[in-house]
Amino acid sequence: MSMEYRLRLAKRMLFNKKGSLIGAVLAVTIGILVIHVNFVIFQGLFDAIVRDISNYRNGDILVTDEADYIDKSDLALANWFERIPFVQGATPRLSSSAEINMTKNGKLIEETRVPVVGVDPYRDVKASTAHETVAEGTYILNRNSVVLGNNVASDLGNAQVGESLKMLIVDRYGEDQVRRFTVAGIVKSPGGQGLDYSVVMHIDTLRDMMAREGESGSFMVKLNDPTKAFEVKEFFLAAYPNDDFIAETIEESAEEQLAGFRSGIAMINLIGYFGMMSSAFAIVTIQMMLVNGKTREIGVMRSIGAKRKDILIIFIFQGMIIGAIGAGVGTAAGLGYTIYAKETKMSFMNSIPLEVNYNWEKIIQTALLSFTLAIIASLYPSYRATKLLPVEAMRTV
Amino acid sequence: MTKIYGIGENQVKALDDATFSIGQGEFVLIVGSSGSGKSTLLNMIGLLDRPTKGKVFIDGIDTTKLDDNKISSFRNKKLGFIFQFSNLLTDLTVLENVLLPRQIGGTNGSSEKDARELLKSVGLESQLNKRANKISGGQAQRVAIARGLINHPSVVLADEPTGNLDSVTSGIIIQLMKSMAKKLNQTFIIVTHEPEHFGDVDKIITIKDGRALEGNHLREEEIIA
Repeated sequence: MSMEYRLRLAKRMLFNKKGSLIGAVLAVTIGILVIHVNFVIFQGLFDAIVRDISNYRNGDILVTDEADYIDKSDLALANWFERIPFVQGATPRLSSSAEINMTKNGKLIEETRVPVVGVDPYRDVKASTAHETVAEGTYILNRNSVVLGNNVASDLGNAQVGESLKMLIVDRYGEDQVRRFTVAGIVKSPGGQGLDYSVVMHIDTLRDMMAREGESGSFMVKLNDPTKAFEVKEFFLAAYPNDDFIAETIEESAEEQLAGFRSGIAMINLIGYFGMMSSAFAIVTIQMMLVNGKTREIGVMRSIGAKRKDILIIFIFQGMIIGAIGAGVGTAAGLGYTIYAKETKMSFMNSIPLEVNYNWEKIIQTALLSFTLAIIASLYPSYRATKLLPVEAMRTV
Repeated sequence: MTKIYGIGENQVKALDDATFSIGQGEFVLIVGSSGSGKSTLLNMIGLLDRPTKGKVFIDGIDTTKLDDNKISSFRNKKLGFIFQFSNLLTDLTVLENVLLPRQIGGTNGSSEKDARELLKSVGLESQLNKRANKISGGQAQRVAIARGLINHPSVVLADEPTGNLDSVTSGIIIQLMKSMAKKLNQTFIIVTHEPEHFGDVDKIITIKDGRALEGNHLREEEIIA
């Protein structure tokens, strides 16, 4: 029997059992869809967290100093980075914590240990998107204004733009430094991943209050092409061999925050692959039903000369057809979901919008895997089909 | 040949040293009461089952020495089958069912022309492209006859070919088989429990208690053992 004829018979026998075909294809499709949905949601969430950490806090490369503070001038470092074509912007950041007092309706509200981030308003807009999260008012205007994170404003009895507050920061010598500021704006980011829990002020003001003239806590470097992060980092470290700089890519600098998430994703993926295995079992069951339903036909074919190999190949072809259609439909459905998630910037309950990417390698890998599993799943039913005796055909039905 | 089913105390001797010979072009009936072993005998001749003891020679070839693959090829080339329920493949059309033995054997040269001619000779030239499950029982049995003849086999084996048909259709099918046998000088071996419907035949083999009685009429005359 020619291969072409075996394929033709396989198709004909399968397509005439539409219920079984649809059931088997659905099993493969659902298996693939589970993987795609898992990927879109959990990888999308992971990438969104990485994106936000990169956009708001760490950049694509985060430069710190082994001695806690960078004492090289902002200008020198920013200029060094910004002459590299891959670099979009580089900006200094300084962090501390503060005690804040605010009087609302005659009542004094006090908040302690509020994180404070000092930014260079000019450079920060090039290297971070924190300024895009301003919900009310403006970003840092001058040295006497601050921007409150949405949660801080809420804790301060719904602080409003234009109101004033008093801030106490302990400087490097242990002295209290108190200043009064005007609220220039309030920032609010999706999922609270931005500076929602911090107070943002001019970096020079914070330096003054901390008595750290000309020093920065970190340098945040944003790239046009994040894939060049490692290259740029290595280039930077090579350029300053005698300094105690630490330069980390986003994966390295956010590793602590992401490690747990990463293993969670691996677990979820594993569950997805178990789902795919379940689909394979469904295919075995459906194909066994197909074989049992074709006992007489198999007997007839065997009695008029079909070899065991012919029967085996016919049913393996059926597995291939199921796998191919299932992989096609499943991949199309998965891609449809991915496109929908990407276009609608999918988020859950107004939380962080997922960072959806088309991972073609994974898409193709999933389709091939399910196709292969469908073939493997068809092996046992095909083998069982070859074991049917031609004498079956002679029996009355 | 002898065929024993089961083991130990549960052994059943379905055939007991049944021996006979059939010549080229003969139209032969195998008759016997229910459970006498006639279908078992047909399975042995059709190489669908192997005898426990003894040999089956077809065209001078000892078929008991053939392995599974060679038996399949042998069945395809040397034997034609007609079953009680026609057993057409319902996924295929009438024409495709007739072509099936050629497709299985991989000999496609003038297949379609031959199949069309055979279907014409059994009066089904207008039903070629109908699905096999869309034709009547009598038509299906005629398709089965055409399918059994397409490879010009040495022997056509039929197991109760009219058992599922009304008397009028049965008569048509019997006449068709007889005319095809005569026209093609084709050997037919037919298991039936209604030998009287077949009229004159070349030989009747009666199976009784697993033994074969060979003759040309319906009386048990001679035991060949």
